[in-house]
Amino acid sequence: MKKVLVFFFVVTMFVIISAIGSTQSNPVTITHWYWADNPKYSATMQEMAADFNATNGKNITVVAEEYPWDGGAYSETLFRVVMGGGGPDTSTFKLTSTPLFTANNLLANLDSFIEDWEDKDEIEESLYETMRQASGTDGIYLMPWNTQVLYVYYRPSMFKEVGVSVPKTYNEFLESCKKLTRDTNGDGLIDVYGFGMRGAKGGQEPWGSFIWARGGNFTDFTSAGAVAGMQDFIDLYKNGYVPPTATMDGFQEIIANFKSGKTAMTVHHIGSSPGMVETFGDDVDAFPFPGDVGQWTSMGDTENVMLESCENKDAAFEWLSYLATGKGQETWCRVTGNVPVSKTVQQLPVFQNSKFMKVSIEAAPVAGIFPILDTTTEWISTIWPNTVAAALMGKITAAEAMQELQKGLWEE
Amino acid sequence: MQRKKIDLTPYLLISPALIIFLAVVFLPAINAILMSFQSYDLRRPSRIGFIGLDNYIAIFNDSLFWQSLWKTFLWVTFGVGFQFILGFVLALLLHKKFFGRGFVRSVSLIPWVTPGVLIGLMWRWIYDGNYGVLNDILLKFGIIQEKIPFLAQQATAFPSVILTIIWQGIPFFALMILAGLQGIPTELYDAADVDGANGFQKLVRITIPMLKNTIYVSTLLRIIWVANSVDVIFNMTGGGPAYSTQTLSVYVFNKGNALNLGYASTMSIILTLILLVVAILYFRNIFSSEEE
Repeated sequence: MKKVLVFFFVVTMFVIISAIGSTQSNPVTITHWYWADNPKYSATMQEMAADFNATNGKNITVVAEEYPWDGGAYSETLFRVVMGGGGPDTSTFKLTSTPLFTANNLLANLDSFIEDWEDKDEIEESLYETMRQASGTDGIYLMPWNTQVLYVYYRPSMFKEVGVSVPKTYNEFLESCKKLTRDTNGDGLIDVYGFGMRGAKGGQEPWGSFIWARGGNFTDFTSAGAVAGMQDFIDLYKNGYVPPTATMDGFQEIIANFKSGKTAMTVHHIGSSPGMVETFGDDVDAFPFPGDVGQWTSMGDTENVMLESCENKDAAFEWLSYLATGKGQETWCRVTGNVPVSKTVQQLPVFQNSKFMKVSIEAAPVAGIFPILDTTTEWISTIWPNTVAAALMGKITAAEAMQELQKGLWEE
Repeated sequence: MQRKKIDLTPYLLISPALIIFLAVVFLPAINAILMSFQSYDLRRPSRIGFIGLDNYIAIFNDSLFWQSLWKTFLWVTFGVGFQFILGFVLALLLHKKFFGRGFVRSVSLIPWVTPGVLIGLMWRWIYDGNYGVLNDILLKFGIIQEKIPFLAQQATAFPSVILTIIWQGIPFFALMILAGLQGIPTELYDAADVDGANGFQKLVRITIPMLKNTIYVSTLLRIIWVANSVDVIFNMTGGGPAYSTQTLSVYVFNKGNALNLGYASTMSIILTLILLVVAILYFRNIFSSEEE
């Protein structure tokens, strides 16, 4: 009898211990790739991953691995790695890369996750619709994270020195570029250029504003308006209102030139605002890129995706939702100054009181994206910078450049 | 009749290297050849398939290919040419006895042991049109009156990247030629001295002929390496501005990066064939001179 009792005791204990054990989830590790524009953002992402790991309560550990954005080469690196059978479970992502990834079935469909998600309504339906359009299907493969609207940064003190006011029209903007270009120390050399032009990869976004201002668009680069916008862009370079390095200037260069006082205006989004304020204090402000016949500015977007190869999709979605509407959303947008996608986070005072956020919101109605085609990534990384550089240097005319750009994006 | 026993030892010894060679060189090369006959653009996976010679025809009609090929010719000719001349001079200097020779020999190797990516980034900042140290030096010495955007204009971008590859490759030639110089018997120079030969005569009649094979092999290796080099140009200019620094290797890399692997493979095959012709002509020259 005693043996039977001992046997039942052991079995009971085993069942109890097993039951307790089953309430604790198995440990899951999610590898997340991201890019960061500066060391502060890198540290922030690591802190967010640590915070998520400590608070998710589901035994999920996110390992955040950083890779350089490199003017968009990040997306190509991610693609090659995932095609090769490796890569992360989740990654920061751009809309323009969606067709490439969905065409090769590399992204996990998020429809069912979002349908069952309690925070689903925290994000505007229009954003989900944009995600659907980008995929070229009825499905959602990208989780919205934050947006950035491009606008013009300027130095109020420089405007005051030359007696120009904030441009309200496109022609006033071109005129400001001219007036702000000057020799400040009388040595006969230009010290300050009116505009910090981006001629390297990524420069197509500010360039797009010139094209639309003259009545052009991205469907037909060869239209008279588009060619006129291109001519304005060329004239800024030829007349010396932008640094002579413009043909090769990328993100780092235009920001460095603006921060060093070499340029009086440059185009970027709110993500640069903390660094600008750190450098200039109150002597930096912003205005929407003005229009003429038309008006357009680029809506930068950043999403997160779950790769189809991810083995723990529920855990990965927990992390994606933390970034989209959880504490990760607030932390990242607060530090980077990006526009949040979460309605609740948007209402926080820190976002409502920012002058750069106000300009972003002011420019938002004319903000858009480049056509998302299977040619877009090559067009952005190779065709646009080289064709525009050739036009800037006078090797080809504005009309010839626009024909090349039309062919590269639409006819390949 | 006794059957001849085959000794397997040499085959066993060579097999690891052979297997690795087959896996990482031969199979990818075969794959590249096959890809060159296919539409293999990962942006358009539905179109992947055999297209015969279409890639080759497209490339021969591609003006950018011919421009890149011409740039490759200039890149190799000036790059390797000046590397050889300056490397030769450096080797002759390092062959002389002087105080601190060991230190100078070690320091002179720095460009060669520095990774190409780092060299590209380093020189990109040296040449920078706004903050570059080269502009500062030239301005301070009064050589220029205003800063030159070396990498941002066509006239200076390509010479600038060529200068960088020259800087990188000088130590290689210096090292190879120095090793060759140390193998030349001193008796030859002693005999020349007795005959009253001057320095130039000794260089032309003894040093260069004795170094002939070293020069041939090292030049051939360097031609192949420089023609295939991507890292320096890519990190300095990415092939721009306006494709002015785009060699064939950089074009292949850019096309591969754009995921058009069929087109990129076809250009790689063409580049390989060109280099193969150069190598065959080179070796034929070496062997024919040896036979003489």
